[in-house]
Amino acid sequence: MDISKAPNPRKLQLCRIYFLTGFAFLPFVWAVNVCWFFEEAFRKPPYTEQTQIKRYVIYSAIGTFIWTIALITWIILFQANRAAWGATADYISFIIPLGVP
Amino acid sequence: MAQQIKAAAIWLLLMFQSTASVIGERTRDKMYEPILGASCFRRLNGTHQTGCSSTFSGSVGVLHLINIDADLEFLLTSPPSPPYAPMIPPHLFTRANLLRLKEAGPKIISVVLLINRSKIEQFSHELNCPNQYSGLKLNNSTETATCDAKKVTNTWNRWGTGLLHEDFPFPIYYIADPEEIDKLEKCFIKFNDFDYESHALRSLCAVEIKSFMSAAVNSEVCMRRTNFINNLGGSKYCDPLEGRNVYATLYPRSPTENVDINTDEKFIIVSCRLDTTSMFDGLGLGAMDSLQSLAILTQVAHMLHILLPSQNTLTDPKRNVLFVAFNGESYDYIGSQRFVYDMENLAFPTRSTRTTPISFDNIEFMLDIGTLDDIGNIKLHTLTSTLLAKQLLQQLNRYAKSSRYGFNVNFESNVGYHIPPTSAQSFLRRDEKFPALILNALPNNRFYHSIYDDVDNVAFIYANTSQDYTKLADVNDMKNISVNSLQMKVRNVSSIVAMALYETLTGKQYQGNQVANPLLADEFFYCFLLSSDCPLFKASSYLNSPPGVPLPPMRYISVLGGSQESSGWTYRLFGYLLSHQEPSVPKENCTQLPLYYFAGLNDTGECRRTTQNYTHALSPAFLIEDYDWRSGQYSTWTESTWSQFSARIFLRPSNVHEITILSIGIVVFIISFCLIYIISSRWEVLFEDLPASNAALPMPTAC
Repeated sequence: MDISKAPNPRKLQLCRIYFLTGFAFLPFVWAVNVCWFFEEAFRKPPYTEQTQIKRYVIYSAIGTFIWTIALITWIILFQANRAAWGATADYISFIIPLGVP
Repeated sequence: MAQQIKAAAIWLLLMFQSTASVIGERTRDKMYEPILGASCFRRLNGTHQTGCSSTFSGSVGVLHLINIDADLEFLLTSPPSPPYAPMIPPHLFTRANLLRLKEAGPKIISVVLLINRSKIEQFSHELNCPNQYSGLKLNNSTETATCDAKKVTNTWNRWGTGLLHEDFPFPIYYIADPEEIDKLEKCFIKFNDFDYESHALRSLCAVEIKSFMSAAVNSEVCMRRTNFINNLGGSKYCDPLEGRNVYATLYPRSPTENVDINTDEKFIIVSCRLDTTSMFDGLGLGAMDSLQSLAILTQVAHMLHILLPSQNTLTDPKRNVLFVAFNGESYDYIGSQRFVYDMENLAFPTRSTRTTPISFDNIEFMLDIGTLDDIGNIKLHTLTSTLLAKQLLQQLNRYAKSSRYGFNVNFESNVGYHIPPTSAQSFLRRDEKFPALILNALPNNRFYHSIYDDVDNVAFIYANTSQDYTKLADVNDMKNISVNSLQMKVRNVSSIVAMALYETLTGKQYQGNQVANPLLADEFFYCFLLSSDCPLFKASSYLNSPPGVPLPPMRYISVLGGSQESSGWTYRLFGYLLSHQEPSVPKENCTQLPLYYFAGLNDTGECRRTTQNYTHALSPAFLIEDYDWRSGQYSTWTESTWSQFSARIFLRPSNVHEITILSIGIVVFIISFCLIYIISSRWEVLFEDLPASNAALPMPTAC
């Protein structure tokens, strides 16, 4: 969808839907929201809905950032301690590597 | 015209040329030369992993022939171009050397090749105390009370190196074929064995071994992962060691629907071990460590079967003999532990046999045939001195020393906790008062649980007489077999044991001149040591069934879906040798067990009433829910799964060579990027005449 052709209220509506959807543990939707509406929020000449879009984009960016930090921390923690955690680590894994502890 | 002829001639020439010189060989096949051998693999127990594994994509090492200790020293202290793959002859394949290689780590030693060379003095990879952490234990000790590993000379396998119970970070491959060894040596001499300083700078002959193991840590972990509900890939990590015990009764038991124990019934158990093991997949015959006892058990059973009158004429007509060959005994007594467990739970024999269960109250005593390395000097081991043991020893010695038979075997009593690692330990462990008597000679097998416990270790020579081996022989009829041969030794011990049991059962001394037939031992060893395509196996198969493969049966317990060859052949053998012929039953009616139609001695076919059956040899640890894997109560051995075993040699380019190639690649990659960029930015200069690709198309209208 080429967003530049949509009318401004439609843009706002889309941006809000993406922002709200992100709360369903979908940080990628927030990330998409940021990329998609970044131009609209910060580069385009001002229009009525822009302040709201800007707000949603900033919040989505913060959400994405927090999620990224959390995921990276967890992945490092899990990969470093998988063998030590024993059964617990196996129970929360879907694919267990072959031939290693 | 002349030109056409010329062209045709050139074409013809080209065609001839191509047929003569074009070889349709793949580059891969030109690069690699496969090597045949047997691989070491990973086994796990409740606490450890043992054996070897390669890396996921295969371990590669530069070949290096080890002739003396100094060669090994050179690799470990100043390897010019690691990782290396030492080719070690058996006499240097010692515990000390292997542990040094292990310590050096896979960065220096990535593969170990064991090459078959001239015979050596000793080679045993089992522990000094086989089954050290199972069997009879005292005072909650984790180690068995029957063997003290600290006093090596007094252990049951003093030549043992224990390498079978070590974990190696590199694959170990055994190469037996002289041609394959020759290939390796030639490659080593041609490319590696000179100018060691420049090793890092030139191409070297290297070997690649693929034997990647899926399981890791211990049985608990790999079984958990295998049985795991989230296991999306459905991948198996390991399988429990699993097989079948084979048993047969001397007299058939009457079928009944009754599930209560019949306390009147009395059994004498005569047992031995069915399996053996070695470090390498598919190898190891266990000729001395366990096949001798199986041969003796078979002959005792066969002789008693022929000698004894019908059951109701015995002193106690409710008496019977139960012959059992336990499987998986090399791995913490899997078979006997399960047998004891089944008997305790009244699950032996299985319901499908339609006989009453046998409990411990039904057992009169157990005579366990252990390893008989020195077959002329046998000890009768018991935990405590009992009347029963004294009586049996007296009987054994009477026949052993009788001038009438001239067996020349000596039986001695040995009372106390120093008992050999045999199946009886599982029974004694449950109850120390269990009347277990163990026949065992002083350990003298220098190749216990190794690939060299073979035909040569027992000095077996096949007599191949083609005479009847199913009848007993006269004591003076040697059947042209030498007095000191394995066959005669087995004949002597079997006859003595059978005569003593005859006396126990009938209450009368044995007076006959008939003894076990040395030809049966001859045929038995030929089948189990040289070829399954043999007269005895053929006679004990179904009529006109396809012959066995011309290789000896595998005697390692293996896993579910493994070969199970030796239990299968033992089952049929017990069936044939312990059954009564039913001449009145025609072939058509001889289809349902216990009736079985055997090929028989001359391939004529005969219907016989059999008594043999299988019981499951899977450790109870895998049946008990939430079993504590570290408790040491039952065997926990599992075998890792693997996808392939392969070995091949090739020329490994030097590091410098590899880095140069990679660098050139990267440079070409970057140059091509720059080139494309320049071309696309200056396209008008290059493609001046051509119209722009989008010139014909009008610009799209913006909406």
